[in-house]
Amino acid sequence: MFIFKYKNRSLGISKKPEKYDLPLEKDKGGRFLMILIGLMTFLMILTLSASFILTAMNKSWSQGIENKATVEIQTTAPDGESLSKEDIKAATKRAKDYLNNHPYIESIEVMSDAEIINLISPWLGGENIMDNIPLPGIISINFHEGVVNDPNEIATELQKIGPNIRLDTHQGWLSDILRLTGSVQFAAIMMGLIITLTTVVAVAGSIQSRMAVYKDELELLHLMGASDRYISRQLQRYAFFTALKGSFIGMIVGWLVIVFINLYAGNTDLGLLPNFTLSYFQIVSLLLLPVILSILSMLTSKQTVLRFLRQMP
Amino acid sequence: MIRFEHVGLRYGIGPEVLTDINFTLEPGSFHFLSGPSGAGKTSLLSLLYLGQTPTRGLVTMFGQNIGQISREERKNLRRKIGVVFQDFRLLAHLSAFDNIALPLRINGRPEREIKENVDELMDWVGLGDYRDMLPNTLSGGQQQRVAIARSVITRPRLLLADEPTGNLDDEIGLRLMGLFDQLNRMGTTVLIASHNTALIEKFGHHPKLILEDGATRLDKPYPGLKYKMKDAS
Repeated sequence: MFIFKYKNRSLGISKKPEKYDLPLEKDKGGRFLMILIGLMTFLMILTLSASFILTAMNKSWSQGIENKATVEIQTTAPDGESLSKEDIKAATKRAKDYLNNHPYIESIEVMSDAEIINLISPWLGGENIMDNIPLPGIISINFHEGVVNDPNEIATELQKIGPNIRLDTHQGWLSDILRLTGSVQFAAIMMGLIITLTTVVAVAGSIQSRMAVYKDELELLHLMGASDRYISRQLQRYAFFTALKGSFIGMIVGWLVIVFINLYAGNTDLGLLPNFTLSYFQIVSLLLLPVILSILSMLTSKQTVLRFLRQMP
Repeated sequence: MIRFEHVGLRYGIGPEVLTDINFTLEPGSFHFLSGPSGAGKTSLLSLLYLGQTPTRGLVTMFGQNIGQISREERKNLRRKIGVVFQDFRLLAHLSAFDNIALPLRINGRPEREIKENVDELMDWVGLGDYRDMLPNTLSGGQQQRVAIARSVITRPRLLLADEPTGNLDDEIGLRLMGLFDQLNRMGTTVLIASHNTALIEKFGHHPKLILEDGATRLDKPYPGLKYKMKDAS
């Protein structure tokens, strides 16, 4: 049908009614708009995905240590004197007894020597070396969920039990990382806004140029009594479908790039990155992006056309 | 029905093209507007089809002062006016059928009605075999007939035509003048700008406005009609 239509047209025949009163279907300027929207969609997909990854990372890190803390029984006293294995074991036991009886604490887990050796051996070498150096005591704490606890109070009590006992709530490094990811997320949101704004400006510019090109045709419709709505509806439809085509292509390319990145980055063993699985809401958001951008283009086009037509007598 | 009182028109900061135009067109009347090129015939027509706003004076159309009506009301007025432009102004990407159907589509008429009316009119103006042809494949005369058919398809209350028979042979020209005459008998007010004196003479029973050196004269008395123009050249 497509071939027949254009063959007929080259013979000066038009058997099918045109979609638009303006010659928009054969307009090469539409390709520019389509490519531009495609690129914007691609960038938007990447930006949104980055934002989703950062949200997942934040959540993963926060949840991983939520209601958790670690007690370390250090191998040296505050004055720098090395403590014996027996001293460390005794301090560990005292700390364990205190923590077991604390009302805010749900459970504790004292790490065995083997587990501690396993934990620190990558830095300090094999098991043989560990025989000659004292191992710190490590106790993992799980607080009751929803309990507002004051870590300083527990830390102070632990210091009383043993000056070499230290409580680590992870808040220090976690807040730094969360601030960093928050900043990156803010940058992603700003980028999304800039992309949206660029899309609006590009669509408005494109529609304005189309109207300049088809000024005579627009004037004719205007003189025939076509309402502003009648004229703007045509350009709205044109902008919507052009944007939809462009953004659909941009979305497909964006998805392919994300899949590639996921496969590539997914091979790392760092364990820092969470598995990049999208929630239902996130998938719908990404799938709806072309439609949202197309509607945005349509609305931009409407405002641009109406403003232009208002200048006509 | 249509009244111009002390109307003037100038483009930008240029000289006045029309000065102190005064006339009244009664409903259902038929007039020729004649005069040398550049006398302002097209400018006067553009005021009549609301393509321009007068720089001064009072224009009343269909009982409405066009200086005081809203944009929506202007659009409604425009829908009552059919115009045949001197350069046809056909939309090049639309077939002859779609060009003629355009005013009906703008008026929101149903497609079935559009097809019936347009097909009938195309047959009448001798374009029945050119329904799907694009304007650039039609001869000048055929394009002119498309333009005329487009202007009358809605049975406008006022028909304005700028040299409507310029590219037509006598037979087709007379036939289309017959169409204008028929529309006029159905109540449409017709104003035709033309310098085809032979054609005007054939329809000599209609009043004729002649532009000469910026002034106009009426070649036969017609009640309530006064006309004055300034040569733009």
